Amino acid sequence: MDQPRLTRTVTVANRTGLHVRAALAIYNLARQFQTQVEIVMDRQRASAGDMLHMLSLGANPGQELVLEAIGPQAEQALDALAELFAAGFHEDDPQTGRR
Amino acid sequence: MKFADFMSPEAIRAELVADGKEGVIREMLRALLDAGKIEAPEMESIVKAILSREELGSTGIGRGVAVPHTKHSSVDQLVGTVGVSRDGVDFDSLDGEKVYLLFLLVSPLDRPGDHLRALENISRQLRDDRFCRFLKQAKTAEEIRQLLEEADNNQFAS
Repeated sequence: MDQPRLTRTVTVANRTGLHVRAALAIYNLARQFQTQVEIVMDRQRASAGDMLHMLSLGANPGQELVLEAIGPQAEQALDALAELFAAGFHEDDPQTGRR
Repeated sequence: MKFADFMSPEAIRAELVADGKEGVIREMLRALLDAGKIEAPEMESIVKAILSREELGSTGIGRGVAVPHTKHSSVDQLVGTVGVSRDGVDFDSLDGEKVYLLFLLVSPLDRPGDHLRALENISRQLRDDRFCRFLKQAKTAEEIRQLLEEADNNQFAS
């Protein structure tokens, strides 16, 4: 495969961990890019395109994760997702509810 | 966190009859009420809280599954139940499909970790096709209870 495979380390920065809202935010963002994104937590991997897979990680607040992206927009996808993680999935934004 | 730690066996419903999102949520909460896990004066407040949470984004996460939930001041530990809808319920799901398997959780205000652990367990089991199939095919609450026990004993996804 010629496509670049890039990685980025992120931390779960919200108070509740990788629960439904967080997973949905990741899912909705990742699908905007022509890229396969996987989340790696220790020895577990979960596709960002699979809600149940992500939720089954049960990633706690403070958990470090590695995002892996393969595809033409890998860099952009990782930039966007890293920002989402850093913002704690925008859970404390007054505008929460955007999909 | 095993199912036995938070699921209320008497509140399991193998045949939900309501046909709308609010309807099934009420039906499952009534089951928790009848099982003595939530208090009658709190019922409406809990319904509202769950529906408000749904407004932020449907918990119909695709593949025929929904995980409606809320934190609430009236419970001091996580309580949950599971319901199966034979005909499926429109839940405004991620994939546009109806929902057949619902896991409802009401957690205390100060323990987000319990909620996450329960969600982790539920999700892990639901990734197993056999678990989902058996759940959908269960004819009685007792069958579902046994299925959850088998899941706790790592018979499915581990």
